[in-house]
Amino acid sequence: MRQELSIRPILIIILCMVFSFRSFGQEYDFLIKGAYLIDAKNDIRDIMDVAVSDGKIMAVSKNLSEDSAKKVISASGMILSPGLIDPHTHVFVGSKTGAFADGFNSVSPDDFTFRSGITTVVDAGTSGWRNFTTFKNNVIDPSRTRVLAFLNIAGTGMSGNPTQENILDMDPEKAYETLQQFPDILVGIKIGHYTGPEWLPFENALEASGRAGKPLLVECHLPQYSLADQLEKMRPGDIITHSFEEIDERLPIIDPEGRLHPFVKAAYDRGVNFDVGHGGAGFWFSQAIPAYQQGLVPNSFGTDLHRFSMNSGMKNMLNVMSKFINIGMSLEDVIERASWQTAKAIHREDLGHLSVGAVADLTLLRLNEGNFGFIDAGKNKIEGNNKLETELTMKDGKVVYDLNGLAANKYQ
Amino acid sequence: MSLPALLNKIIYHLFFLLTVFFAVIIGSNAQEIDLLLKGGHVIDPKNGISETMDVAISGKTILKVAKNIPESSAKKTINLKGYYITPGLIDMHVHVFHGTDTDSYIANALTSLPPDGFTFRSGVTTVVDAGSSGWRNFRQFKEQTIDESQTRVLALLNIVGTGMYGRYEEQNVMDMNPTMTANMITKMFPEILVGIKSAHYWGDFTQVDIAVEAGKLAKVPVMVDFGEHQPPNSIEELFMVHLRPGDIFTHTFSYGPNNRETIVDEDLKVKPFIFEAQKRGINFDVGHGGGAFSFRQAIPAIQQGFMPDVISSDLHTQSMNSGFKDMPNLLSKFMNMGLSLEEVVHRATWSPAQVINREDLGHLDPGAEADIAVFTLREGDFGFLDIRRTKIDGDKRLETEMTIRAGRVVWDLNGLNSPYWDTELKK
Repeated sequence: MRQELSIRPILIIILCMVFSFRSFGQEYDFLIKGAYLIDAKNDIRDIMDVAVSDGKIMAVSKNLSEDSAKKVISASGMILSPGLIDPHTHVFVGSKTGAFADGFNSVSPDDFTFRSGITTVVDAGTSGWRNFTTFKNNVIDPSRTRVLAFLNIAGTGMSGNPTQENILDMDPEKAYETLQQFPDILVGIKIGHYTGPEWLPFENALEASGRAGKPLLVECHLPQYSLADQLEKMRPGDIITHSFEEIDERLPIIDPEGRLHPFVKAAYDRGVNFDVGHGGAGFWFSQAIPAYQQGLVPNSFGTDLHRFSMNSGMKNMLNVMSKFINIGMSLEDVIERASWQTAKAIHREDLGHLSVGAVADLTLLRLNEGNFGFIDAGKNKIEGNNKLETELTMKDGKVVYDLNGLAANKYQ
Repeated sequence: MSLPALLNKIIYHLFFLLTVFFAVIIGSNAQEIDLLLKGGHVIDPKNGISETMDVAISGKTILKVAKNIPESSAKKTINLKGYYITPGLIDMHVHVFHGTDTDSYIANALTSLPPDGFTFRSGVTTVVDAGSSGWRNFRQFKEQTIDESQTRVLALLNIVGTGMYGRYEEQNVMDMNPTMTANMITKMFPEILVGIKSAHYWGDFTQVDIAVEAGKLAKVPVMVDFGEHQPPNSIEELFMVHLRPGDIFTHTFSYGPNNRETIVDEDLKVKPFIFEAQKRGINFDVGHGGGAFSFRQAIPAIQQGFMPDVISSDLHTQSMNSGFKDMPNLLSKFMNMGLSLEEVVHRATWSPAQVINREDLGHLDPGAEADIAVFTLREGDFGFLDIRRTKIDGDKRLETEMTIRAGRVVWDLNGLNSPYWDTELKK
């Protein structure tokens, strides 16, 4: 009798503990422990634990209990960043040879994103209002990557000549209507690839983006517009890309004596965003290094990913970001620009941070040390000691890339 | 014309011919080295080489592989001390018939992907598409992908006319035409088509038998994906009765789905007839994919002495970001399961070249097209996943440093082939 009496309360206590652990233990799908979190929006540059459930960030705090999650990812020594955003890609891939729009010159986003820590890409005007729905059906909807887009002011986007330069098909009204129709996908208007002298295409692009309250992205191949005039017409928040280009058709931002043109610095100080837009020809150390030294730090690290840049000096966005770390930027600065600053530039402030309640798009990175080299568009190189590598990428709370199996169970 | 004038003319022509003749001879003897890869550890399984050697490239081809080729003899030298140099990898199982037909799943569809984004960054210079297209849509595949790619794209032609359009089309025995399949391979595109694919059939041995019939007509191997038969078909019967020596069994280390008979049984023992089948000449291909590689199959098999003949990826959008990732990751996985670097390189170069009867590829013989990969062997704490999300730890990982296709550098991770950016400024 005495035995029974003494055992019963203990059993009850044990049962209560088991049940409380059970319910507590299923609170989070994932707990990422011990990583160095860089979250500019929330002003965090510190070792923090991050909990994820149901595709959302549930908690960001020091020392969250391991018992609170179904899966713990030990991430000591790694960097935890909001999912990176590549604001300049060409992903309207299709089977048309020699074309970007619905063509073989564009690439599929998922082939390149998750393995580079990217969860969101922005297509840089490969489509226009006439073929945007094809783009949406063939690429945007089936992709696991979040694909946003600048809409080309040219109705058929980057369809090749002569259609892409048809000034009569650069309709600001149609472009504006399309922006309004797909506000969750379209982040602005793009102008590029116009070889005529008239300013009408540029003005139409300004008009359509201005009416929608969204930025204008100014790309390249506008040989008759002077750089000074382009920057003059651009509003704070508009984006110029291929910032560090050194080719004939646009004045390089660094003069032959190595000085940053004052009107360029003035535009930058006025709030025009300068995107890298690396591409196959858009990035030169002879521009980027002097520009950086004279205070022009790129606002975003657009890769200009397409078939001709992917295997060149560009390679992937982490390689582009690593270049700037080795030029002198801090790790924190580079990560913050590639996540929160880029999200703000495209007016998508739901992205690029790990606030509680935000979508669980994130990446674990390693900053490797060693002897590395980095190539520019002229096939010239710098050496460096630091290089970012993706360990794991999560999109909507799901592990979509896991280089070394951090989130996996051991065999046997 | 007078006689002396005629003689003059003859002498003149003879002189001209002799000049041309000597110019040709001298030209061929004094072939210049355009690119010299110096001091790397060369692994060339065909030629039994695994030691420090220099590789000389002239134009698009290998000039020679030898010790101590002087730098002075080359227009350009890249120092590769500490790196491994191999023939460009051959990935014998991919799906690259990319397109935007949303009714289709692999043929001209989104599950396939354009090859160049995956190949050169992985040291791969040749891929073999495994039956994404059949004779009805191969021309479209060639036009929109093969002809447009920098990667060398070869293909197995699906025994089904519409290739991998959809599972229902793949059951249509009426569209399995051995004559057209063989004609397309032997008469129309012998440079590209290297074999036949039989896959995804739900019935008995009918599809395999028709594919083998076409294989006999065209004198090429048949690759079989044998995973969806209801009820499952015996793989022993497949290997011993239906396939010929030289035919290929893919997804070797697949564990599941239930309709696929495994090569390792539930007690983790390799079934005895597997060794006999390999002895008989059946080629076992990895075909990792998004669902066809499990450690519980591969590790016991390797421990019991069974090695796959070819290590390949089954690259498509569902496999690329999973446990497969890229060919160096896959080769590293096998190294961390116990294979040597030489053994994995052999299974992704010379071995697949022989399996697909393309013995011009997969080696560094003088005169061969200069397709070359350069790797770093990283040491550290790494992990490798299978498709069941279980993992093994490992301490070795291959990383692609440089890839050369037909003599041209097409991937250069750290700029080994580039001058420093301020070289010009200093002049």
